[in-house]
Amino acid sequence: MKRYGASPVHLLAHLAALALAAWALLQIPGLGNWQRIVVWLVAAVVLHDLVLFPAYTVAGRLVGRSPYVRVPLALSALLLLVFFPVMCGKGEGAYTRVSGVEWDGYAERWLLVSALLFLGSGILYAVRSRT
Amino acid sequence: MRGPPPGPFRPGFFRSPLRGPRLTAILGLTLLGLVAIVAVTGFLSHAAYQPDLGNNAIVEPDLPLTFFDWPTGPSWLYALNQGLHVNAGLVAVPWLLAKLWSVMPRLFAWPPVTSAAQAVERATIALLVASTIFLFATGIANIQYWYVFDFDFVKAHYYAAVVFAAALGVHLVVKLPVALRSLRGRAGSELRDSPLVAIAPDAPVLSRRALLAAVGGGSAALLVANAGESIGGPLRRIAFLAPRRDGGFPVNKTAAGAKITEAMTGPAYRLVLAGGGGEIALSREELLALPQATHTLTLGCVEGWSTRQQWTGVPLLELARIAGVRDPSQLTVGSLQPKGILRQATLAANQVADSRSLLVLKVGGVDLEPDHGYPARIIVPGLPGVHNTKWVGRMEFRA
Repeated sequence: MKRYGASPVHLLAHLAALALAAWALLQIPGLGNWQRIVVWLVAAVVLHDLVLFPAYTVAGRLVGRSPYVRVPLALSALLLLVFFPVMCGKGEGAYTRVSGVEWDGYAERWLLVSALLFLGSGILYAVRSRT
Repeated sequence: MRGPPPGPFRPGFFRSPLRGPRLTAILGLTLLGLVAIVAVTGFLSHAAYQPDLGNNAIVEPDLPLTFFDWPTGPSWLYALNQGLHVNAGLVAVPWLLAKLWSVMPRLFAWPPVTSAAQAVERATIALLVASTIFLFATGIANIQYWYVFDFDFVKAHYYAAVVFAAALGVHLVVKLPVALRSLRGRAGSELRDSPLVAIAPDAPVLSRRALLAAVGGGSAALLVANAGESIGGPLRRIAFLAPRRDGGFPVNKTAAGAKITEAMTGPAYRLVLAGGGGEIALSREELLALPQATHTLTLGCVEGWSTRQQWTGVPLLELARIAGVRDPSQLTVGSLQPKGILRQATLAANQVADSRSLLVLKVGGVDLEPDHGYPARIIVPGLPGVHNTKWVGRMEFRA
């Protein structure tokens, strides 16, 4: 296995996994609008590796090196990243149609929680830098 | 040979002093624990829909995952399964982001491929990262009712999960020993040579422990923001970003949305029982005159929210007796709802046989509301929410 560069276990494990993954991927062309699924799979990697990662790295550099700023900012951004659809009312039509009720106040509650995070971190910084 | 292209391909580009095999091992093993919960509960949910019965299959039962009868107890079993699936998934998000951050220098390794072994390894990692982010993105959009994907969510989520499971399995074969070695003992020379460790590190902003605390804090924030909708009760209001923080008794299909009209549910309504040769039609008054039972059971939605209610109605076994089928092997329940793949559901023998499985006529002691399935709906303990068919028009028992 000198040519291959690793043990037979390595090769067999990869062949098994790639065969199962290929089986699953080959089911996709049988689904409706399957090209979009492929686009989403590729976009998932591109958006994370070449957009999100550089974006938060640059953002981190811009806000400076203090963890008292970076940590609450990162937490607030994390909540936004995960829950921006509900904050922006992205699924509002579908939600009201299925549930019979309406969405309310998500962006406002995120802003209030973010304010608490910044305030808490600011107080922590002030207390710690005095002692 | 020429050197690497500029930018992240150059050694020394990545400068965080925190990156290293030990941090990646901690992040990776924590993430592993969380995604294991998400994957197992995801495949269990596929089994809970019993795709091998009747027309239940949204996704074909093409993998041997449905070899057992989905149990009827405890009644909150499916609510727990989906609560774990959705909330462990949310909790995993910051660990996933941190894990990917910690190994980012490997993405830009130069030369990109040094052996055939490394080429197949990188190919499976590409599949792993693509399927993971795909699963998280589609799942997170779906619980927020943002159907931005114009493909079938359930099928795509299922097959991506198979890709994920395969790619994760082989990633563990290769990396689990490395991760455990990094955690054991002191950082040896081979660890200092790791390509994850910065050549020219910046001064530290955070300690490794503080970074892990911040990632855990992100998990805690997401959990508090959402978990209340899964647990229900007063905690629902604390879930400040949960899509289902509306109180009371939520639904995922209104009568209007299902195109149920008053003509269908008025005095002309009849429930048709079939199975024992002929058909029997019963009005709601006749159903109310049958022996009734009351049980407090949890209804859990695939989207990870749940509600616990007191249900009153006719036990399914009683209806089987009236239909003339002793010990039915299956029951197919059809809704008055004219369209939709989920307007019917087939139940297994153990579900019909459970004395707490009811054709519900009342909830909390009062008549069902139209949105909750008036004139009659099904409740089976532990069954995925949407299979508890509402506006029941037909029940077909099989011997």
